[in-house]
Amino acid sequence: MTLRYLLTGALLASAAVSPALAQDNTAITVVLSEELDLVEPCMATRSNIGRVILQNINETLTELDVRGDAGLMPRLAESWEDRGDGVWRFSLRDGVTFSDGTAFDAADVKHSFDRVFSDQITCESARYFADTQLTFDIVDDLTIDVTAEPAQPILPLLMSLVTIVPSETPVEFVRDPIGTGPYVLSEWQAGQYIQLDRRDDYWGEQPEVTSARYVFRGEAAVRAAMVETGEADIAPQITELEATNPATDFSYPNSETVYLRVDSADEPTSDIRVRKALNHAIDREAFIGTLLADGTELAVAMVPPTTLGWNGDLAPLAYDPDLARELLAEAEADGVDVSLPVEIIARTENFPNVTEVAEALTQMLSDAGFNASMRMVEVAEHEQYYSKPYPESEGTNLILAQHDNSRGDPVFSMYFKYHSEGTQSGIAIPEVDDLIERATAATGAERDALWSELFAYVHDEAVADVLLFHMVGHSRVGERLDFTPTIATNQQLQLSEIGFK
Amino acid sequence: MIKLVGQRAIASLLSLSVLMVMVFFLSRLTGDPAALFLPIDATEQMKEQFRALHGLDRPILEQFGLYIRDVLHLDFGESLRRARPAIDIVLEAYAWTLPLALITMALVIVAAIFLGSIAAFNVGGVIDRGISVVSLIGASAPDFWIAIVAIVVFAINLAWLPTSGVGTPWHWIMPVGILFIRPFGLIVQVVRGSMLSALSAPYVKTARAKGVKNGPLIFVHTLRNAMLPVITVIGDQAAALLNGAVIVETIFGFPGVGKLMIDSILQRDFNVVMAAILVTAIAIFIMNILIDIAYSILDPRIRQ
Repeated sequence: MTLRYLLTGALLASAAVSPALAQDNTAITVVLSEELDLVEPCMATRSNIGRVILQNINETLTELDVRGDAGLMPRLAESWEDRGDGVWRFSLRDGVTFSDGTAFDAADVKHSFDRVFSDQITCESARYFADTQLTFDIVDDLTIDVTAEPAQPILPLLMSLVTIVPSETPVEFVRDPIGTGPYVLSEWQAGQYIQLDRRDDYWGEQPEVTSARYVFRGEAAVRAAMVETGEADIAPQITELEATNPATDFSYPNSETVYLRVDSADEPTSDIRVRKALNHAIDREAFIGTLLADGTELAVAMVPPTTLGWNGDLAPLAYDPDLARELLAEAEADGVDVSLPVEIIARTENFPNVTEVAEALTQMLSDAGFNASMRMVEVAEHEQYYSKPYPESEGTNLILAQHDNSRGDPVFSMYFKYHSEGTQSGIAIPEVDDLIERATAATGAERDALWSELFAYVHDEAVADVLLFHMVGHSRVGERLDFTPTIATNQQLQLSEIGFK
Repeated sequence: MIKLVGQRAIASLLSLSVLMVMVFFLSRLTGDPAALFLPIDATEQMKEQFRALHGLDRPILEQFGLYIRDVLHLDFGESLRRARPAIDIVLEAYAWTLPLALITMALVIVAAIFLGSIAAFNVGGVIDRGISVVSLIGASAPDFWIAIVAIVVFAINLAWLPTSGVGTPWHWIMPVGILFIRPFGLIVQVVRGSMLSALSAPYVKTARAKGVKNGPLIFVHTLRNAMLPVITVIGDQAAALLNGAVIVETIFGFPGVGKLMIDSILQRDFNVVMAAILVTAIAIFIMNILIDIAYSILDPRIRQ
């Protein structure tokens, strides 16, 4: 009798759960790894916020094509023109309205940038204009001139990083963003979910997805399980361990580059032979398919291969521990104290298997004759080592770090990582500074060539650091969806790109 | 009784004040929130702006003075990351943690006392051995692993329960079940041990000689005398649950105070950390007072 009651209870339970799992055909659930602190348009370049609002709720003037090779595409700006002397003219799309019904015009563009640069809030997108003064002149409702001082040749690309809000938006972080995008935020239950619903009056083509609910689970196995059971449709971030079903699981280059930042102001890494020895001591191939996912690529630059100026002639320094020992011996013979400690400082949970990767790197360096050790630290302590001013150390610290650039241009990486004034730079070489400054100011083929030259100089001549891997990410996408993750999935997830089979 | 409660309340208030002062200064020694809120390549100007906006550029004693002034006006400050009042965020999370802790502990107390008493009464028998083995496994089981296995079995293979979330009562079954296991295993053992001592007391023999039946003998006469150490352990386990259940909250996406507190500490969201510790400490102090009251009810000698 008791068993019968139990079975009946179980059946009732499963029947009661079933309706909760059922979904509208065109409503989807996306399971993210962390809840959003804010749903603030000017913070959309932060990946967890960008995945929800970028181009879904709030749009940008321009947009980088990451699926094809169209390059920079119009979004809220229909066209743009370089008028010389640092002035760019943007012609805005007509007939666009915000979700509150107000019309989009040039004043909204100006106000959006005023918010970004305001000292009343700390907007993340301001960092892309750190050394550039922008002035906005409204020519008419649908035309705006933007003057950059100094001239900024990639200003239209930078416009793909700032979301547009209505002029009425207060200069404080908002919780109910109003945008021109195809979706509107209809509900935010803190800790539980965020709900986006499709707008009927969107200026562009209507996306197929009618609503999207974002839920948050910290554990990758649970995110993967949710897609498997039909509770969710997309898990943008799962680990390689969970990515076992070829029908639903995708692996894709995720625009992250892992490297060891070397401080060339410290002994013994001030000697280029020691920096070369570090590179030759590491068997990069041994990590792929073991500690790191299949598909991981060896890095020869700080940016992924899809970036402007990519130099295909570069090859990683070969794994050769004997050569590493020879280089160390040569340096020692010239008075370099190669017995000084070399400590790898890595951040917990920076990427899957980060501890094991740091351990293996340490062992490889020890095998090649370095006095190597490692330390795992949490994010705040890691930041103290990663950014200037660097703390004093006996010997040198090698910072195991991961850098993301899915923006298509090296300018978002190279100044910070290699310019002598860069906040995470380990070198101070006038030739490198000069190349960065010239490449940043150049356009077209010249820009492409200068970045390419810089990649070669940093890698082959300066041997500035130990570039390791271009990483891959894994996503699980429910079988009913027609969607393939891209390199941009780390930063944004446009619902309009999702279809149904 | 009122005097006892009053004394405990005053002592708790003093402890709470010392705790808050310590947390305030120690948390500010652990790093710069600007470096964590802003991206790695943020300019120094952006970081200074962030510090100025949140008063973090002022001398620490001045920050402390302002914090105390605000707290006395029941203003616990804004979250550095969420741009909302810290106390609102904490109370929202506590609204999930409190029922989770209460439901779990209620089930644990009923099950552990009943089964622990039965085991003690049948000491050395099959029931005792069975309960002991199950409770020891429970007390030593890694809840992370059990939670994942439970999801695989009940959500994926059997499809009886949702994997995670909080939408319906069915969502609560696995989190409560996982949280139940460890305190249940521990408290069963304590009940069993305490009951074994009590059952060997002379008054039990007298009661048996007078013909008292097993049920009343265990649950009326003996249990009350065996409860003091059990209540101590129940208090300890309940305090752990009131602090939040980080692993269960993380795995099941349960928006409780444990994960909030850990995230806030990692992100150096000072006001949320302070508010969370304040609310948790108050909850634990209230629970300790209730435990003291329970002691004095169970053992009149304590009242004197």
